[in-house]
Amino acid sequence: MAKVLMKGNEALGEGAVRAGCRYFFGYPITPQSELPHYLAKRMPEVGGLYLQSESETAAANMVFGAAGAGARVMTSSSGPGISLMQEGISYIAGAELPCVIVNMIRGGPGLGNIAPAQSDYFQAVKGGGHGDYRLICLAPASVQEIIDLMQDAFDLADKYRNPVMLLADGVLGQMMEPVELGEEKIAEAPEKPWAATGRKKGGPKRLINSLYIVPEECEKHNIKLAQKYDTIRRNEQRWEEYRVDDATMILVAFGTCARICKAVVDSARNEGMAVGLIRPITVWPYPTDVITRVREKAEQFLVVEMNMGQMIEDVKLAVEGMRPVHFYGRSGGMMPVARDVFGEVKKLYNGGAA
Amino acid sequence: MINNVRRITIFTGNLGSGKTELAINFALWLKKKHQRVGIVDLDIINPYFRTRIMKDYLEKMGLRVICPPGKLAGADVPALSPAILGVLEDEQGMGVFDVGGDDIGATALGRFKPYLPEGAYHMYFVANACRPFTGKPAGIVKMLRSVEKASRLKVTALVSNTNLGLATDPDTVMAGHAVVEEAARQLQLPVAFMAVKSDLAPEMTRRVPQVPVFPVDLRMLPPWLRE
Repeated sequence: MAKVLMKGNEALGEGAVRAGCRYFFGYPITPQSELPHYLAKRMPEVGGLYLQSESETAAANMVFGAAGAGARVMTSSSGPGISLMQEGISYIAGAELPCVIVNMIRGGPGLGNIAPAQSDYFQAVKGGGHGDYRLICLAPASVQEIIDLMQDAFDLADKYRNPVMLLADGVLGQMMEPVELGEEKIAEAPEKPWAATGRKKGGPKRLINSLYIVPEECEKHNIKLAQKYDTIRRNEQRWEEYRVDDATMILVAFGTCARICKAVVDSARNEGMAVGLIRPITVWPYPTDVITRVREKAEQFLVVEMNMGQMIEDVKLAVEGMRPVHFYGRSGGMMPVARDVFGEVKKLYNGGAA
Repeated sequence: MINNVRRITIFTGNLGSGKTELAINFALWLKKKHQRVGIVDLDIINPYFRTRIMKDYLEKMGLRVICPPGKLAGADVPALSPAILGVLEDEQGMGVFDVGGDDIGATALGRFKPYLPEGAYHMYFVANACRPFTGKPAGIVKMLRSVEKASRLKVTALVSNTNLGLATDPDTVMAGHAVVEEAARQLQLPVAFMAVKSDLAPEMTRRVPQVPVFPVDLRMLPPWLRE
């Protein structure tokens, strides 16, 4: 099939439809509004439901309900809207329901602005809502990868009965790239014997709940969740390596920053510097395994982010103090420029001299 | 090259059809022949890749750029500058309008209907057959009608603008052009010209000698392709 030119936000919508998602609940916010705009047109074509909720709080709870009934369901928003959803997201995680949540990050904190950012990293991978839970968190870096990861997002959500977040910055939502959609085969959602679809003539009671009023039982539930998260940590780390093998300096970046850093790695290689890039594709579980591996050869790390330094904490945890971990970031909706990142690389590579 | 230029040229189309790139290139092309050329950013729905981010460059090239002033340029509010009327009423100057995508974006245009008497303007509908919803003639017709309804203005011609951004190849352009021509036939509208990125222009001129080919230099680049 021929290629299609898509915006990242549209690709999220098309990817979801192809992954069998038939329910979208959300509320518009820049820079992700093309996604609800797209699904408002697309969902009716496939017999699905698009509903604009009265608020993000309502959207999260609609997702809770649809997921509890066994549907493949998603919502999306940006920073402030995702903050509003946190109560619902915690309930969904507590009730172990599969769903997909998109955060197309914009400049913050507070109302901030509509420009692209990566400053919701902490919120996405360290909790966000209350209680001891984790989101599986995927960070695409191209429009094609958005399409591909949407299928994985729904599959992972169902496999682990856990909410999955797609974390991207506004640029990925707004930019257009050609994508290969492949044949339009709509995935079937798997059987969900736990779904609250009725007892079916005396079957067991199906209850979707996150209330554990007896502390002993709530602890048991937490331990069960923790074991699930450990399994995910072991099995689902994903990353891309770019010119890493002989690199003495490793850049670590996700999403748009990784695209910029790839260009920087090429510039550095052209000048004979052994620089490589690790691009986390899952930011939770964090690809600790690859960092642990490359820290043997690499002499130093440089983390590049569109925030004041968030993912760097996970890199440091993986490096365990064995190597210096430096940081370069822009924030508030500003993007790093390849030339500036390259300047930083050169400086560090030459032992701090400019 | 394109003839039959009117004082006001309006670029409409679906979201991501290439209106902004076209409007910029078209205005710069007009500037070669006309002293006063204004470009109006009427895009109230696209937050990032819109004319206003090119403001400094375009002004340096001698264009009058009409977009929300100063701080408001980055605001998420559908603000329209009063200076737009200046472009519409300036009988000695040329005006190029970059309208927001889809019927939603075209709504902003309807407000200027009293200033746009028939015959005074060209309203182009930019069609890219590689985009979702306009890959087939029926999709183009449907989208075009919704833009007309929202703007309360009639499209005067189509622009054949099939592309995959920087990855565009001549065969893709040809396949898309056939779709656009069929839509034009059904709509009984002409295809004003074919727009292609400039390096493909000679090849496309050879392949479709009957249609004017307008070369476009792409300027809305993602951050990793910018200097």
